[in-house]
Amino acid sequence: MSQLIRKYSDDYAEYMRDESRTTGYAETISFPKTEEDVREILGALAPSKTSITVQAARTGLAAGAVPFGGHAMNIVRMNRVLGLRKGENGLFYVRVQPGVILSQLKKDIEEKRFDTKGWSSESLAALAEFEAASEQFFPTDPTETSACIGGIVACNASGARSYLYKSARGHISGVRLMLSDGGIIALRRGCVFAKGRTLELPKENGGTLIVPLPSYQMPATKNASGYYVADDMDAIDLIIGSDGTLGIMTEIELELLPLPAAIWGVSTFFDSEKKAIHFVQKMREKVSNVAAIEYFDVGAINILRDQKKTNAAFAQLPDVESWAACCVYTELHCHGEESALEKLYEIGVCIAESGGDENKTWVARNARDLEQLQFFRHAVPESTNMMIDKRRQIDPAITKLGADMSVPDEYLEDVVALYRAGLEEYGLESAIWGHIGDNHLHVNILPRDGADFKKGKELYAKWARVITDMGGAVSAEHGVGKIKAPFLEVMYGREHIIEMAKMKYAFDPGFIFGRGNMFPADVQEEVQL
Amino acid sequence: MRCVVCIKQVPSTTKVKLDPVTKTIIRDARQSVVNPFDAYAIEEAVRVKEKTNGSVSVLSMGIPATERLLRDAVARGADRALLLSDRAFAGADTLATSYTLSLGIRRLGAFDLIFCGKMAVDGDTAQIGPELAETLGIPHVTDVTEILELGEKEIKVRRATDEGYEILKVTLPALLCVVKDINMPRMPSIAGIRYSQAAPFEVLGAEALSADIARTGLDGSPTQVVHTFTPERAGECVQIDGDCKTQAVKMLGLIAAETKTAEGGN
Ligand SMILES: Cc1cc2nc3c(=O)[nH]c(=O)nc-3n(C[C@H](O)[C@H](O)[C@H](O)COP(=O)(O)OP(=O)(O)OC[C@H]3O[C@@H](n4cnc5c(N)ncnc54)[C@H](O)[C@@H]3O)c2cc1C
Repeated sequence: MSQLIRKYSDDYAEYMRDESRTTGYAETISFPKTEEDVREILGALAPSKTSITVQAARTGLAAGAVPFGGHAMNIVRMNRVLGLRKGENGLFYVRVQPGVILSQLKKDIEEKRFDTKGWSSESLAALAEFEAASEQFFPTDPTETSACIGGIVACNASGARSYLYKSARGHISGVRLMLSDGGIIALRRGCVFAKGRTLELPKENGGTLIVPLPSYQMPATKNASGYYVADDMDAIDLIIGSDGTLGIMTEIELELLPLPAAIWGVSTFFDSEKKAIHFVQKMREKVSNVAAIEYFDVGAINILRDQKKTNAAFAQLPDVESWAACCVYTELHCHGEESALEKLYEIGVCIAESGGDENKTWVARNARDLEQLQFFRHAVPESTNMMIDKRRQIDPAITKLGADMSVPDEYLEDVVALYRAGLEEYGLESAIWGHIGDNHLHVNILPRDGADFKKGKELYAKWARVITDMGGAVSAEHGVGKIKAPFLEVMYGREHIIEMAKMKYAFDPGFIFGRGNMFPADVQEEVQL
Repeated sequence: MRCVVCIKQVPSTTKVKLDPVTKTIIRDARQSVVNPFDAYAIEEAVRVKEKTNGSVSVLSMGIPATERLLRDAVARGADRALLLSDRAFAGADTLATSYTLSLGIRRLGAFDLIFCGKMAVDGDTAQIGPELAETLGIPHVTDVTEILELGEKEIKVRRATDEGYEILKVTLPALLCVVKDINMPRMPSIAGIRYSQAAPFEVLGAEALSADIARTGLDGSPTQVVHTFTPERAGECVQIDGDCKTQAVKMLGLIAAETKTAEGGN
């Protein structure tokens, strides 16, 4: 057995969980630092056909990183920035190991300071150009900045700014994926394309992988449900968002963008949800340069109000006036303060036209105020999780139930009505927040006991069906993992799930990677037979 | 109550860069912010204004780009903004700055309370508030954490000390230097920003202030900065892996190597 593989002991208990609060188990665990380490571990585990769950920072919300038996491979020590290049398009590309933490990378990019040990002369030359260039940034911001790049790419995370910048997918330009036999598929965006629905992937040291792509059409909304497939697609897009089920990403290249000169945040408070929805529709119609349109309902705001009273860590949160029933956060990304001001006034007009009041806004035009608003935004899910943790002390079987579904623009009002009616009918406590600009709200059911938990799960399954009928997606950004696997079948149907499994089989014939993610257990048997 | 707030433009603290040749701070407008402590001073003045149906004027000595920050203070509730800007003010130390600010304050008219932040985070001197009070001949209190009572002739404040706190009564007019505990600064609203962009804005130079230019700028500054530098960080972090025994052995090895180098150097 490789030295790198450790037997499970209680010291590793924390590695059996992620932020979905799902707990799993594993017989062994490892913390590789290099691609070679990963290969050695795979080699050592191959004879026993041990299943392997890759995990990064375990901040995922779909339990993708939670092992259900076998081996947990934690890649957080693969945390080096490997190099930098400047593309012909003038953009910079940074190459990292998958365990690099988002907050660290953001800091490195902001300060233009990297640990350059082992960098090639080309990378060092690019660094010199990077230092001289204007400020740059990586636009994907899943708000949880302790997430790793590997996790972000595996989930195709999006976050607040995806209204403008879309999901991580568009900013990933290269991936190295290690297969179960230790072989590598190295993909660069724009280099390998499918022929219709078949992919031929060259392996680095010879051989080709023939991959039959599933035949479904993806919904025309924000979507992280199942594999990304399309006719003649770029092969790299299949790996992005594959939830740790195809192989292990050992290297990732990210595209950076020049940082807009003016980034302004605006929180607008409304006394009714209806007005807030009108405001969102007006914003979509009338205002450009909007990077984010985010929503917080009264349930979410009340949780914050309570946390602020009882938890010193949240004392610095600004007070929300008692009349406020909801809040919409918008973020402007403009090339200068003058154009930002123009857009700000346009937002003011949208507020007035939706029955709101320009006076009831918080505008952040400097880093300190922006941090406040971002803190506010992040405090919502955090304090909800804390609240649920408290309830779990009484009933450990319950967890927060968080929907991550999206629908096309024209269904925004309908989907909110659907959520409200369901919550009322089932008598459930909830907090709703998220990416309303993309009709993508996180409806969080906050079960008080086991009975609520059961009712909540039922309600989600019901929603999954209606949302599928609206042409929506059951997971828009958190990935499917283990928690949303049953919904994936609702969305695509059994036939397509089998096609997905057949495609996975081409990459991972032993079905060792990410067991329990995306697929129900019986599918594996059906495909392997 | 008539309040005046003195604010300063400083580089965003996380991003201070020194020019390698001149050793002065590279001032880039986008990276400039209002001195963090001054944000609390603005908020406190606006709260006093709201409680007493009073007024707030904001005052700064600085480059023309400081207008942005003064208008921002108006967006947050100040009524009037005055910028003191002139080449003759450049290179001022704390003495020359407080002299110049005192002229600005006199120009603003009668006042009851002046607010300053505890200190500016670029120079870290904490001298302007007290020097300005002395120049104006009024009492001052530093490290104010709370205004306890607002009377017409005097106010009662709490100030933080190394041992705990003091409660002081001060006759008005007076100057207060505030710390971050005093409040939670509000953010401006869109309506506030609209108002601030259209609000009148005054800029005055040395002549308009009838300043004695021997007391302003570099000429009026007895303090001289001889050298500014970024301290080198010598420490290096080494990560040790493995089980307890392996780590202990590796650590001993490192200590031994260190000792050897140190001895070798002797
Ligand atoms: C408070 C909070 C707020 C959040 N808000 C948002 C949001 O607004 N938008 C959004 O999109 N997401 C959000 N997220 C979720 C976020 O997307 C995830 O936290 C992140 O993408 C997962 O990163 P991780 O490093 O923790 O991955 P993990 O949770 O460790 O793993 C996630 C998945 O990636 C796989 N994986 C990890 N590394 C590799 C690798 N090298 N090769 C192959 N597979 C790999 C794992 O197997 C697993 O399936 C939020 C999370 C939290 C806790």
